[in-house]
Amino acid sequence: MKPAAFQYFRASTTDEALDRLAQHPGSKVLAGGQSLVPLMNFRLSRPDVLIDINGVADLGRLAIEDGELRIGALVRHRQLAESGDVAGAVPVLPLAAKHIGHWAIRNRGTIGGSVAHADPASELPAALVALQGTVVLRSARGERRVAAEEFFQGFFNTDLGEGELIVEVRIPISKSRFGFNEVVRRPGDFALVGAYVERSGPGGSVTWFGLGGRPERLLVDAWPQDAAGRGTLLEELVEGLPLDVSEDYKRAMAVTVAERAYQQAEGEK
Amino acid sequence: MAEVLRPQMMGARVSRVEDPRLLSGQARFLDDIQVPGMLEVAFVRSPHAAAKIVAIDADAARRLPGVYAVITHQECPIVLWNQESYKVGQPALADGDVAYVGQPVVAVIAENRYIAEDAAELVRVEYQTLTPVWDMRDAIHEKPRRVHEQAENVFFQKSRQTPGFDEAFAAAPHHLKASFRTNRQTAVTMEPRGTAAMLDAASGRLTVYASTQSPHRMREDICTLLDIPEHLVRVIVPEVGGGFGMKATCYPEDVVVAHAAVKYRKPVKWISDRLESLESDVHARDDIHDVEVAFDDDGKIIAIKDHLMADGGAYPAYPWSGAEGETGLAARVLTGPYDIPYLATEIDCTYSNKTPLGAYRGVWGPIASFIQEGLVDRVARHLKLDPADVRRRNMIRKEQFPYRNAARMIYDEGSYLESMEEALKLIGYEDFRHRQAQLRQQGRYVGVGISVFVEPTAMASSEAGEVGYESCTIRIEPSGRVTAALGLGPSGQGHETTMAQILSDQLGVPLEDIVVLHGDTDSAPYGGGTGGSRSGPIGGGAALVAGRQMREKLIKYAAHLLEASEDDIELGDGKAWVTGVPDRSLTIRTIAQTAYLDVSKIPEGMPIGLEVTGRYLPKRPVTFSNGTHIAEVEVDVHTGVVKVTRYAVANDCGRVINPTIVEGQIHGGVAQGIGAAVLEALRYDEDGQLVTTSLLDYLLPESTDVPRIQVQHIETPSDGEGGIKGMAEGSLIAAPAAVACAISDALAPFGGMVDTLPVTPEMVLKMVQNS
Repeated sequence: MKPAAFQYFRASTTDEALDRLAQHPGSKVLAGGQSLVPLMNFRLSRPDVLIDINGVADLGRLAIEDGELRIGALVRHRQLAESGDVAGAVPVLPLAAKHIGHWAIRNRGTIGGSVAHADPASELPAALVALQGTVVLRSARGERRVAAEEFFQGFFNTDLGEGELIVEVRIPISKSRFGFNEVVRRPGDFALVGAYVERSGPGGSVTWFGLGGRPERLLVDAWPQDAAGRGTLLEELVEGLPLDVSEDYKRAMAVTVAERAYQQAEGEK
Repeated sequence: MAEVLRPQMMGARVSRVEDPRLLSGQARFLDDIQVPGMLEVAFVRSPHAAAKIVAIDADAARRLPGVYAVITHQECPIVLWNQESYKVGQPALADGDVAYVGQPVVAVIAENRYIAEDAAELVRVEYQTLTPVWDMRDAIHEKPRRVHEQAENVFFQKSRQTPGFDEAFAAAPHHLKASFRTNRQTAVTMEPRGTAAMLDAASGRLTVYASTQSPHRMREDICTLLDIPEHLVRVIVPEVGGGFGMKATCYPEDVVVAHAAVKYRKPVKWISDRLESLESDVHARDDIHDVEVAFDDDGKIIAIKDHLMADGGAYPAYPWSGAEGETGLAARVLTGPYDIPYLATEIDCTYSNKTPLGAYRGVWGPIASFIQEGLVDRVARHLKLDPADVRRRNMIRKEQFPYRNAARMIYDEGSYLESMEEALKLIGYEDFRHRQAQLRQQGRYVGVGISVFVEPTAMASSEAGEVGYESCTIRIEPSGRVTAALGLGPSGQGHETTMAQILSDQLGVPLEDIVVLHGDTDSAPYGGGTGGSRSGPIGGGAALVAGRQMREKLIKYAAHLLEASEDDIELGDGKAWVTGVPDRSLTIRTIAQTAYLDVSKIPEGMPIGLEVTGRYLPKRPVTFSNGTHIAEVEVDVHTGVVKVTRYAVANDCGRVINPTIVEGQIHGGVAQGIGAAVLEALRYDEDGQLVTTSLLDYLLPESTDVPRIQVQHIETPSDGEGGIKGMAEGSLIAAPAAVACAISDALAPFGGMVDTLPVTPEMVLKMVQNS
């Protein structure tokens, strides 16, 4: 379980990282390395060039500006979980971040890495979709912003282009209340199924993850006030998903986690 | 009298002498063995469950710079074959066909592991795939085919029946049937397997560093398989990060490494990675039991009938198959702590296209306990009786010891009922039933599971081999310090501490003056090693025997030098003195100096020096520990996720050498038991592919999955040396059943009972929905 040989560069600025990316098509960016390094050790990922961005200070910014929470690509899960600013602006985010892996993983893992890796069962990509976030991408050609809902395209598949680096994600600070829930076999595991529920006025949305290849956000015009009514609605929503939900268990769990997320959003007042 | 007042190290909560080096990262494990010029091995392994090898092309690999050699069965034609017991053996490197995913096919030897893995990727093996055999029930009927053309799929078959079984079974008023399934697990030691071997150019001797539990057995296996005489092989076992029975086997990789070191006259090392660990360490627990139980109106169990099946994998692990171990002993101890007069068992062990089955802590026990306790709970539920009461009615009573069970195993004395009553008190059973009823009204489902276990320990033969005794050499150095050596192979059990505690009491020297060596066949006396919970009772017994011999020598010296009667000499605190006259004393150091350096003063007839080797062979073929585990769980009936919330253990392993170490063993076993009950499973798909190849898929228990564990000790000494019984496996024997029974109890309102381990969330949800 040793990686295939690769060249290693440590970038100290974003531009330097972008230069390297442009020079070496097929290179990989090393942030927290929590998914990439195991994949390389299994030789499932074998980049010729590894560009380490851990020395790029700009990418570690975490700020609230113009009604948005701006999270630099290198912000670690632990920062999200513990930052008072984040908790004040988007309370569901630290709640979800605490469910990512264990201490050691949260200390190293980054939001940029999680978004780039796009594991369909991971918490943060789904959070971005649920919260209507934007992914900011930069390359030697310039910068573009992609809505999270468009960015995640399928199993480990995103809109990230050749030579592009995720530099930031932005989350609008919303008046909606959000709840989060997931089913795991062990605390810290990837979710079997998870959900974010939004309550905005009478309606809102539900975003599921772990069901298919990417997080799926569905609008709800009006949340039924009774649990049975919500159960029926959620079952219909799950049925209607353009997903191959082959497992009965996951289907049932989708309803359960969404209901629990709904109740949590209720308590978030 | 003074003897009574003196503090005894035996039974004391002594801190482990191993811990400072282990906890500060100073311990030397196998991968820390570094020798100039050492080559490393990577194995090309079979990607198929079953296939013919059409061709192997290793030219590109051989040409890669840094590659030293690439070897196949042709270059290393060794077969790990116990021909007395089995019709087939595993070639160290595949010979013409492969029979499981992960089977070693080619060994690449290179300057380092990186290059070895690069080269391994360049080896082209052409396969012609065959239909895999992966279902046990099919395999028994030779379907879809034979795994090995020359051998029937059923490689071990045995039937046994108590005389009068049929009549007793038929006459019973109640009968229940159940089929129990345990799924494949493996030990997943924190330190994976590994071997390093090198020839000493000067002496021509081969040194093998092995991460194994039995140094002398490994030497014997290497000598047999490589045809080298024993005096030319030295096996050294460095620090071992967990064995759990999995490292009691000699593996193909061990043999290939030793063979390469001899063939190329180069130091060679191989360290398993986690992927290799999951697919090539021996697996365990792949068993099905079709059971019928007969009982009367009061819940008294009269008879059990069991068809035991185990999937032994592609080959017998060398030198014995775990399938045989799991079923053979399960069939003999299936009645556990209960007085069940009639038993009929039928065993079928089969080959399949899966990894060989070997030993994993508890071997037969976790399976048998799961069945035995599952049956008792079924009887209780059928008759609407309290599960604790049904256990009370069936339990073997004190006055029945020594007890002969329905399979003619003799149990020495234990505290079966007492342990259950103590554990029920610890968990607060009466209170629990009230709490359970209240919580159910709130839609919360909690349950308790009671698991009363027996643990055969210190057996004449076990996975550690057929060596039924253990040896201990004690040398008191001229300084009065003590060097002791045993043939044990500890992998974290703390033998350096427990053996020193025993010796300290015997020799009257402080613990810090004793060093305990193990794991080096050049220094250790011949012994069986560690496995089958034998090191405490048999190793400890050897330490006692040797300690007593040395004590007698010290007393003779002291009596002679102090001009007193031997009967009046006492030993302690590094001194010998005359009873009642503490001023008439001398130090052990003085005695030692006399023995080595002032030999004219040696008592007449005594040899120069202070050195003894004592051996201990227990009179009984087995001694039984016992105890009771009670787990409390909460089941989320909406997700199927089980949380173990409380846990109590009453444990009786005879005389306790060190309570802290015993408790540590219990904590670890309970954690592994929770893993077995709700998390761990090695899964194969229908193509025979192992699909759980990382710890993302093979779920181990984590600290958050294990509750606080209350432990209470009961001591019913054995009649062997020191009254010691083994105890390393009981916790894992009992825990899976405790958790499984607790889940069944929690889900009682829904009617179902657990019959498969591990209990997955999907299974729980089905049990809830099927009600």
